[in-house]
Amino acid sequence: MTSSTPTAPSPSPAAAAAATPTTSTPSTAPTSSKPTKQQPSSQSQKPSKSATKSKDAATAATSATAAPADSATAQLTPAELKKRAKAEKAARRARERAERESSGPAGGAPSGGAATPGKKDGSGGGGGGGSAAGASGSKQVPRRGSAQNASQNGGGGSKADDKNVAVFGHLYGQQRRTTVAGAGKEVHPAVLALGLQMRDYVVCGSSARCVATLLAFKRVIEAYTTPMGTSLPRHLTTYLSHQITYLSTCRPLSISQGNAIRALKLAISSIDPSTPEAEAKAFLGEFIDSFIREKITVADQVIASSAAQKIQDGDVIVTFAGSSIVKQTLLLAHKQGKKFRVSIIDSRPLFEGKSLARTLANAGLDVQYSLVHGISHAIKAASKVFLGAHAMTSNGRLYSRVGTALVAMSAKERAGGVEVPVIVCCETVKFTDRVALDSIVVNEIADADELITAEPMQQLTGLPDPAAVTVSAADAKKGGGGGGGKSAAAAAAAAANAAAESNTLAQNVSSPLTGWKESANLQLLNIMYDVTPAEYVDMVVTEMGSLPPSAVPIVHRMSTNL
Amino acid sequence: MPATSGPLTPGLASFLKTLRTNPIDTSIDNLISLLKRRQIRHSRSCATATAYLLRGVISASRTNDANKLIERVQNVGRRLMAAQPREMVVGNIVRRVLGLIRDEAEDDREGDFNLSEAGSESQPQTPRGLDDPTDVLSARHDGSDRGASRQPLPALTAAPISMFSLLSHPDTENSLPGTPVSASPSGRLLGHAPSKDIRAEVLDGISEIIDELTQVDDQIAAYALDHIHSNEIILTHTSSTTVQKFLLKAAAKRKFTVIHAEAFPNNHEATHATVSGANPYDDELLSTESFQKPLIALGITVILIPDSAVFALMSRVNKVILGTHSVLANGGLVASAGTRVIARAAKVHQTPVVVVSGVYKLSPVYPFDFDSLIEYGDASKVISYEDGDLVDQIDVQNPLYDYVPAELIDLYITNLGGHAPSYLYRIVSDHYRKEDISV
Repeated sequence: MTSSTPTAPSPSPAAAAAATPTTSTPSTAPTSSKPTKQQPSSQSQKPSKSATKSKDAATAATSATAAPADSATAQLTPAELKKRAKAEKAARRARERAERESSGPAGGAPSGGAATPGKKDGSGGGGGGGSAAGASGSKQVPRRGSAQNASQNGGGGSKADDKNVAVFGHLYGQQRRTTVAGAGKEVHPAVLALGLQMRDYVVCGSSARCVATLLAFKRVIEAYTTPMGTSLPRHLTTYLSHQITYLSTCRPLSISQGNAIRALKLAISSIDPSTPEAEAKAFLGEFIDSFIREKITVADQVIASSAAQKIQDGDVIVTFAGSSIVKQTLLLAHKQGKKFRVSIIDSRPLFEGKSLARTLANAGLDVQYSLVHGISHAIKAASKVFLGAHAMTSNGRLYSRVGTALVAMSAKERAGGVEVPVIVCCETVKFTDRVALDSIVVNEIADADELITAEPMQQLTGLPDPAAVTVSAADAKKGGGGGGGKSAAAAAAAAANAAAESNTLAQNVSSPLTGWKESANLQLLNIMYDVTPAEYVDMVVTEMGSLPPSAVPIVHRMSTNL
Repeated sequence: MPATSGPLTPGLASFLKTLRTNPIDTSIDNLISLLKRRQIRHSRSCATATAYLLRGVISASRTNDANKLIERVQNVGRRLMAAQPREMVVGNIVRRVLGLIRDEAEDDREGDFNLSEAGSESQPQTPRGLDDPTDVLSARHDGSDRGASRQPLPALTAAPISMFSLLSHPDTENSLPGTPVSASPSGRLLGHAPSKDIRAEVLDGISEIIDELTQVDDQIAAYALDHIHSNEIILTHTSSTTVQKFLLKAAAKRKFTVIHAEAFPNNHEATHATVSGANPYDDELLSTESFQKPLIALGITVILIPDSAVFALMSRVNKVILGTHSVLANGGLVASAGTRVIARAAKVHQTPVVVVSGVYKLSPVYPFDFDSLIEYGDASKVISYEDGDLVDQIDVQNPLYDYVPAELIDLYITNLGGHAPSYLYRIVSDHYRKEDISV
């Protein structure tokens, strides 16, 4: 698996530019590259068309010069030449196809097993073919898409289905995008970069993703010029929807992202078509800024200050994973001079609580850390449970990182009938009108390869490239600093984590799971969220006040009807 | 302190190998240090080691006096239990051996009484003695079923007392041609012949316990088809040989789906190995298990999930089948960390929780102080030392066990059959003598 180098080879300059900030992030999981369809064809057809055109011209010229005497042929030119050109073109196409087909597998073959052919192999094979055929013109711009598709179909095919957990069949859909290759040309570089960052959990967490998306869209709008013949309110929406589609192929959109996008579209459509473009763009920039400020930055401050009031001296606060808003709350309470202890429960494979633990410990809090297996021990001493949210559903259930429900449940089962209050901190932008009863209908499936264990012993020989980590950290700082959502440190740690994991993933041969894709009947399931029943939640702290979970739909209606 | 022989890593295998060659006191010290260093870990390994050691102790002790034997075993047992108080199976085996000795001693006394009675009534015991040997031999040597336990089976509660009294006589006769016996120190006049037996009887009893330990998983697995129906979705946690055998047995006849929570960070490698069938390292479990087919080879779909996804999936699960570390007399159990939330999540979803466990894990201890049962493990498994700065600043906890209260368990399946948690105290009283509960 040495081929999975951290850089993403990308041919198009725009893609390369967009990819640079994220090159340090782990490169692909083996078989997950799945570009969209329209792009490869357009990419490859254009050069080949121009090549054939020049060739046609050449042949026309040669025929003209070689047989100037033959006036009959010259006379036939308009219709005949066209026909001949067409035939030639068809023949060349066929030849090209044959060539490609033979070079495709040749490129993929050296990599051996079905698990290994990553994009490097695909592009390598394609590139090789291109240079070999270079003599006959530039027609062989590497068609990475098709090569990858071929290798993927060869390797996986029906097997991939076998690896999908049947109950979650509806959630698998298409795999997450692994490269920017194949993204539509309308997609803005900022959005391209953001997509990859979200996929690699560099930008992770509901609010952080929401803020990052809005900021990226702000740049998109700044760079946007209305094409002739349309008006901004009419065209910008469709233009944005290309960006949105791209983002959702990187990782399914969060509820908060969806709400923000809906608000933005509403704002766009409310612009009078006669407004001058510059003015409209300024309005939208202003709108985005105020949305972030009102719905997230200030909302977080309000929530943190009202949730911090709930913390008293001597409390033992249990929290799960790494919620940015819970972190803000705890830091604020600590700043207010309250003496309390924090017990963080964390889970595989993201270990989001680790960065939370680090931040809190650096701030001087008394932190205890354990994993999901230690819930019942951590909860024994607890006096309050603080949870973050991915979303609150309209039936009052909490939709959050998988494992949250276990913590909330444990808080309600303490022996002796003493219950620990469970407090959810959640901005109203995360409220949704969707409802959920279980964690199966609505969920998100992450790449199962993330579950293959990183063995610490082997990491000693393969520590993540420090340069890569710092690059991604800096990059994350950029993203995190812009929004008020997830802090830079959290994102940086996540990046480091991801880098470390990919690194061991590449070399961790001894893990018994490495060949799981080859062993029949074995499935790995890596879901991202679970649904906590409303009866486990005592209070939802929002910027509009502290509510019972049953008040979620009312607040959602109020906040969307503004 | 003997050096454990060459290539073997210290563990059950090396211990059993050196047990024959080393003097018994060295072996005792050896086992104590193995237990202390946690080089023997699993319940069954501990139980097996203890049983073999006690067999060595009994056969090495030159006395035939039951009281002295009891004293000796108690002595050794106390040291072993002090070495690793949380491995409750050690205490269980010691108690059962003590129970054996007491049983034999009482049989002797009974025998004496019978004999003297018989003598006084001048009714010869020979007729009974003559048709006994066949019964006894078949009962002793036909292996599995009878060998399950020396203690009265619930189904056979009427039988055992008379059986034991029967047992002593043929051996009495067998031992007669042996070495001439001296008068027993207890001063029983007629008891000299039976008292010679005690050691041999106890050794036999211990062999039966050892047999039980090797067969217990198969005996439990025999009940599998009674509990698993087709197309079920079964959730289990960590890698337990007992659970695996149980599921494998059912898989031979029925198709179902297994969801396997991985028990990160303490046992996830073993779980992954169990699930995928690849055994990268030599576990200290007996080697036969490493050749066991994985469930996936039998066409059973196995879904491996992280522990955090248990609640999300519980609504789809039909049954939760759990292994355990030890079972307590009140029906609660001490099992690997994470079991409690799983059992609780199952309760919340009204999913039955089944615990499979050999009777040898059943401890007569009532847990009054739950925290004392919990062992904490290596923190570096939770946060590796690469994050050394973080480890310095925060308190990292890695509990190894959870106490699961009895009300979260719906059914126990032991080698004696299925029981409600509330019935366990009865099995405890069948297996352990009151006087041995505090060794």
